[in-house]
Amino acid sequence: MRYLPRAAALAAILVTPALTSAPVQPPTYTYRGTVHTVQPRAGSLELITGVGFALRLVQMRAVAATRIEKAGVAIALADLKPGDIVRADCRRTSLGLVADRIVEIDGTAAR
Amino acid sequence: MTRAAVAVAGLVALVAAGCEKPLKPGDPVRGLTAAQRDRFTRGKVVFDSAFTPQTGLGPLFNSTGCGECHEDPAKGGFGDEVEVHAAAFRGGVCDPLVQEGGFVIQQHTIPALKQALGIDSEPFPPSATGRAMRTTPVLFGRGLLDLVPDSVILSYADPDDRNHDGIRGRPNRAVDGRLGRFGRKAFIATLDEFNAGAFVAEMGITDPAQPTEENIGGRTIPAGVDSVPDPEITQEQLDLTNDFVRFLAPPTPARLDATGRRGRELFSQIGCAACHIPTLRTGDSPVAALRHREFAAYTDLLLHDMGPDLADICLGRATPSQFRTEPLIDLRDAQRFLHDGRATTPEQAIEAHGGEAAGARDRFKALPPADRAALTAFLKSL
Repeated sequence: MRYLPRAAALAAILVTPALTSAPVQPPTYTYRGTVHTVQPRAGSLELITGVGFALRLVQMRAVAATRIEKAGVAIALADLKPGDIVRADCRRTSLGLVADRIVEIDGTAAR
Repeated sequence: MTRAAVAVAGLVALVAAGCEKPLKPGDPVRGLTAAQRDRFTRGKVVFDSAFTPQTGLGPLFNSTGCGECHEDPAKGGFGDEVEVHAAAFRGGVCDPLVQEGGFVIQQHTIPALKQALGIDSEPFPPSATGRAMRTTPVLFGRGLLDLVPDSVILSYADPDDRNHDGIRGRPNRAVDGRLGRFGRKAFIATLDEFNAGAFVAEMGITDPAQPTEENIGGRTIPAGVDSVPDPEITQEQLDLTNDFVRFLAPPTPARLDATGRRGRELFSQIGCAACHIPTLRTGDSPVAALRHREFAAYTDLLLHDMGPDLADICLGRATPSQFRTEPLIDLRDAQRFLHDGRATTPEQAIEAHGGEAAGARDRFKALPPADRAALTAFLKSL
């Protein structure tokens, strides 16, 4: 019985942040792969990713807020072309994967 | 002291002096700890497992287990299977046809897929511009190749032929830009990824590194065909397999007689060694037995243009005519030569070299018969 106030206090500490914090952010994903297709008008991009011989396509959208860059300089989605190697930081939304940032990587310095 | 006792004492002294038995195909590298040897042994069991649809095989597959193909003359060795690859090369860009099921075209289906779609193999992708045949590569010594530092490989690259020897050598890159070194086109960055991808692409066994099945020539897998939950093997099974392959030693080359030594000299003199770099050295590794080890590799792990007659498919940055220099490891046990097995003797393989290797090929062809035989004898000692 003497432990009850301590337990209640502990519970309050644990529960309060969950009740008062901001909404849970959608999980983020980082992909590194080769550009397969780019459709600037549709704002979509397909990356080839995968493991060894088992390759997979990842489809994502680039929106107005997506920062696309190469060597620290902003570029347009249309500047990306098939064969380019990029890193894309994305989050899952109701539209599917949306990229927050896409960085073109120089393949020769990518390791 | 009897003669027998003297002989025994002499033998013991030889062993104590470090006389090591040659490593045979399928042996682990020397110097593994007891725990590593145990993982090698247990990994071999996974490697040699035969999967079934009930344990995850398929829906598409080339083989029921790693050991079904990599089996000759020991597990991890060559195989007589030849598989089909396809890709599209347009405007200088390579498309590995992921949207059509990927570049590995599986030759078998499990019964449930055959029943659902009426196919015996994966359809050949309609948009492919190239078709390639691929033999089963030997896996001995791949753990050592995995540990050769990138800087060493890149030190052999000469994409602009600055030394004007006609040999360029350029690295391939994996899809994420890392230096490639495995596969006939050096498209895979690490041995673990090579293995993890092979489980999926060759056997249809999903694993924690690649937990999704590929599509069936661009179509989704029909409902009910693959009921085994993904991943179909555990991380521990994958890790054990990786350790088995990583610890497979390159067999000790045979002792050379005078003819073989002459052949070794010629190998360098006529230019073979410009790409087939005789020895490489590993970098750092948590495994002491693999760390800072010099070994007979006979490769630079770079891409070279081999001419139009050998050209087949692109992959990554490799054009259809560019291939990675094949490591010449356990060549004595090879039954077929070159990436597609078209050659049945080392001589035929050399004579099929073109492109950057045309000079070395022509010098080989110009050798007197005895020297050609010596060079061949050397190759068969590897």
